[in-house]
Amino acid sequence: MRFTDFTAFDLVLLAQGLSVNVALFLGTSLVGLVIGISWAILRFYRVPVLSEAITFVSELLKNSPVLVQLFLVFFGLPGLLHIRVTPVTAAAITLSANTAAFVYVIAVSAIESIGRDQLEAARVFGLSRWQVLRHVVAPQAAAFAVGPLIALLVNQLQVTSLISVIGVVDLTKIGNILNMRTLKPFIVWTAVGLLYYAAAKLVAWFGSRFEKRLRAHSAWRGL
Amino acid sequence: MRLDLSILLPHLGFLAQGALLTAQACVLALAGSVIMGAFVAIARTSSSARLQRIAFTYVDIFRNVPFIVQLFFFYYGLPEIGIYIDAFTTGVIALSIAGGAYASDVIRAGILAIDQGIIEAAEVSGLSRRVMFTRIVLPIALRTSVRPLGSVLINMILTSSILSTITLNELTGSAQIVVSQTYRPFEVYVVLLVVYAALTYLVSLAIALLHRRLNRDMMEAVA
Repeated sequence: MRFTDFTAFDLVLLAQGLSVNVALFLGTSLVGLVIGISWAILRFYRVPVLSEAITFVSELLKNSPVLVQLFLVFFGLPGLLHIRVTPVTAAAITLSANTAAFVYVIAVSAIESIGRDQLEAARVFGLSRWQVLRHVVAPQAAAFAVGPLIALLVNQLQVTSLISVIGVVDLTKIGNILNMRTLKPFIVWTAVGLLYYAAAKLVAWFGSRFEKRLRAHSAWRGL
Repeated sequence: MRLDLSILLPHLGFLAQGALLTAQACVLALAGSVIMGAFVAIARTSSSARLQRIAFTYVDIFRNVPFIVQLFFFYYGLPEIGIYIDAFTTGVIALSIAGGAYASDVIRAGILAIDQGIIEAAEVSGLSRRVMFTRIVLPIALRTSVRPLGSVLINMILTSSILSTITLNELTGSAQIVVSQTYRPFEVYVVLLVVYAALTYLVSLAIALLHRRLNRDMMEAVA
């Protein structure tokens, strides 16, 4: 017996799949942001060797497909270290590292966008390096970086669809299952696409609201 | 824990075949997406509000839906409406359409950056709109957008790894086959990661050279 019709439960399945994507997206974005920014701070302090190593790793992560990175973590790590890696763990590790690499580049260019004269002036006033970072660099760098960061996050949300390939039951996997059962690819993939689209728009909307708030100090207020 | 890259030696030829398929798909898809992008950019910069809206909707949809979903939409959907094409053609079409959305943004920016005086001069000379576009606007726009089109190409090389999910044995697909023959996932995927990174690095070098060569008469303006 085959159920080839759509049922109301399929909507629940789709919602579950989307929640897996959104949860992984939020978690890995947060971890990626923290790691990427701490890498940028290490570079700000000009830690020798470590800075170069971080730049190399981030270039490698930026310039290779996420799918290959997923395979490396999911299939490669267990083979090398003889440990168990579940699909969700592999997805979380890969997406966090990938996000961190992109955040690092954005954060570095944001820090470098601040004129040297400001840093020197602050140092002359007797601020420590940390105080310069906290009170002079961070606020301006945040306003500079928020635009690229939002674009990155919208992109990373779409990248989460790749985790279905290593067996995480996310929205794309649900789409695959429904497609195989109902044999109505146009309806299934349009529905899946719409859900991803709505999620991406939501991220962009929250992002632009946040950006407006960060940039409020320099916005034109009228006469 | 051991890392032995020599086990890959007998499989290098097979991997090279996969790389060749990746290159073919990317070159074809690049041509497709530049053509697609040029038409969409024309629509987006046209004076007709309706054309503009249609073009914007296309770009918006294909940039905000994950590529893997678009790919499955075409791969499973096209046979449904009686179009039977192989995985390679499907992949190239999907890559071209998705890449076209990104390319159109690049070309549109190139068109908008053209000095209004050049277009007015062409109008005064009595050139038809078609000649004006193909002989004046497009060459200038394409020439200045070589570098951003290059990053579209690099993104396309990375995205093409997803074609392995529709049974196409390009670089990632053939690596999966090598893994199933050698049972050495870590070695294979590490090498794959480095190969992709090296490939995209070489492409970016080539693009920088091409960009400098094409814009050599206005170097002080773009440098």
